[in-house]
Amino acid sequence: MGEQQTKSKNLVKDVSFRVAKATVRAILVYLLYFFLMPILSPLFEMVPGFVESIEVFVVIYIVLMILGDLTAKTVFEHFFNTARSLFFLGYLILSMGDGIFSANYESFSISVNLTLFYAIAATLSLLGFARTILQAINFLHEKSEATGNL
Amino acid sequence: MNVPTRMLGVATSIFWVLLIAFVALAAYSVKDLGIDFGEPEYSITSENELRLALPIYVDNRGYYSLKNLHLSTVFSDMEGYEISRSETIVPILPHGEISTILHNVTLDPFILLERGDQYLFYDNNINISFAAGLNFAELLPVEISANFTFPWSAPFYDFTVDDPSFEIRDFTHVTISAPISFENHAIFDIAGNLRIELYDNQNSLLSESQTVFFVPQNSAYEGNVEFVIPLTMLSSSAVQRGHFEVYFDMGVLQYGPLVIPYG
Repeated sequence: MGEQQTKSKNLVKDVSFRVAKATVRAILVYLLYFFLMPILSPLFEMVPGFVESIEVFVVIYIVLMILGDLTAKTVFEHFFNTARSLFFLGYLILSMGDGIFSANYESFSISVNLTLFYAIAATLSLLGFARTILQAINFLHEKSEATGNL
Repeated sequence: MNVPTRMLGVATSIFWVLLIAFVALAAYSVKDLGIDFGEPEYSITSENELRLALPIYVDNRGYYSLKNLHLSTVFSDMEGYEISRSETIVPILPHGEISTILHNVTLDPFILLERGDQYLFYDNNINISFAAGLNFAELLPVEISANFTFPWSAPFYDFTVDDPSFEIRDFTHVTISAPISFENHAIFDIAGNLRIELYDNQNSLLSESQTVFFVPQNSAYEGNVEFVIPLTMLSSSAVQRGHFEVYFDMGVLQYGPLVIPYG
C-alpha cells in the first residue's frame, strides 16, 4: 500500500515536472517570438500573408514542443520531437522557394538574396532532425538493454 | 551515445542563437539606415555631354558595413530605346559614418539627336530605371529597383514657319518674309542660331537666311525671317510653292534639316 502511494506520488511529481517544463519552454519560445516580431515585422509586412504564416508556424511548433515535453521519457517524446524537426525543415523549404525574398512598394521593388541564410538554417534544422533520430535510437537501445537485464 | 547527442543539441542551439541574433541585428540595422538626396547639379562636359550629378547621403547607423554598392540609372524613351546608362560603384559604406556618393548621369545630345524630332519638337515622357544593389551585413545581397516616368519638355515645341509674304524691295529684288514661332517648354534657356534655306517647288535653292535667338525657359518665341530674291524669280510660279529647310545650331546641339513645306 505504502509502495503504491509512493509510486503515485512520484507519478504526480513527474507529471507536474513535465507540465512545468513544457510551460516554461513554451513561454520562452513565445517570448522569443514576442520580442523578435516587432523588430522583424516591418520587413515581413512587405510580403502579404507572411506574418500570418509565421503565427501559424509558431503555434504548431509550440504545440509539438509541449506534446514532446509532456510525453517525456516515452517513445512518443521522440515521435513529437522528430515531427517538430520535420515540420520545421518542411516549413523552411516551402517558404524558401528560390531563396530570394522579393517585395514591391509603389514603383519600388526590393529583393534580398537569402540563399546563404536559408542554407545555414536548413543545415541547422537537418542537424536537429539527426539529433532527434539519434535520441530515438538511444532511447530504444537503452530500453532494450533494460529489458535484456530483466 | 547520450553525451554526443546532447553536445550536438547544444552546438545546434548555439548556432541557432547566433543566426537569429544576426538576422535580428541586420533587420534592426535597416531601420537605422538613413538615405537623403541632395540638390542635383547640371553641367556640360568637355565632350559636350549634359551631366547631372546627384549627391546621395547615406547615414549608416546600423551594426554592419554595406559593401559593393552599385547604382545604375538607365534613361529610355517610351518605346524602350536606351538613351543613356550610368553606373556608380562604391566599394564600402562603413557603419557609423555618413558617406556621400555622387551619382553622375550623362546624356549625350547626339543620341538625343538620333531621335531629334521626338525630343526637340514634342513634349514627351522618358522612362528612368533605377537600380541599387549592395551586400548588406557583408552577407545578404540586396537589390532595390524602381521605375519612374520623367516628363521631357521640348525646347522647340510647336515649331512653325508660316507661309511667306512677298514684298517688292526695289526694281530688281523681292523680300520674302516668313514668320517663325515656337515655345521653349524645356527646363533650361536656349540660345543659338537658326539657318533657313528657301527652296522652290523644283528643289532649287533660292536664298538663305539666318536668325539668332535667345528664349528663356517656358516662354514663346515669335520672329520673322527674311529672304531676298531677284525680282525675275517671283514671276515664276515655282516660287509660289516650295519648302524651307531649317538648321538648328545651339553650340553643343546641332540638328537639321527640318523640312517645312509652304504654299
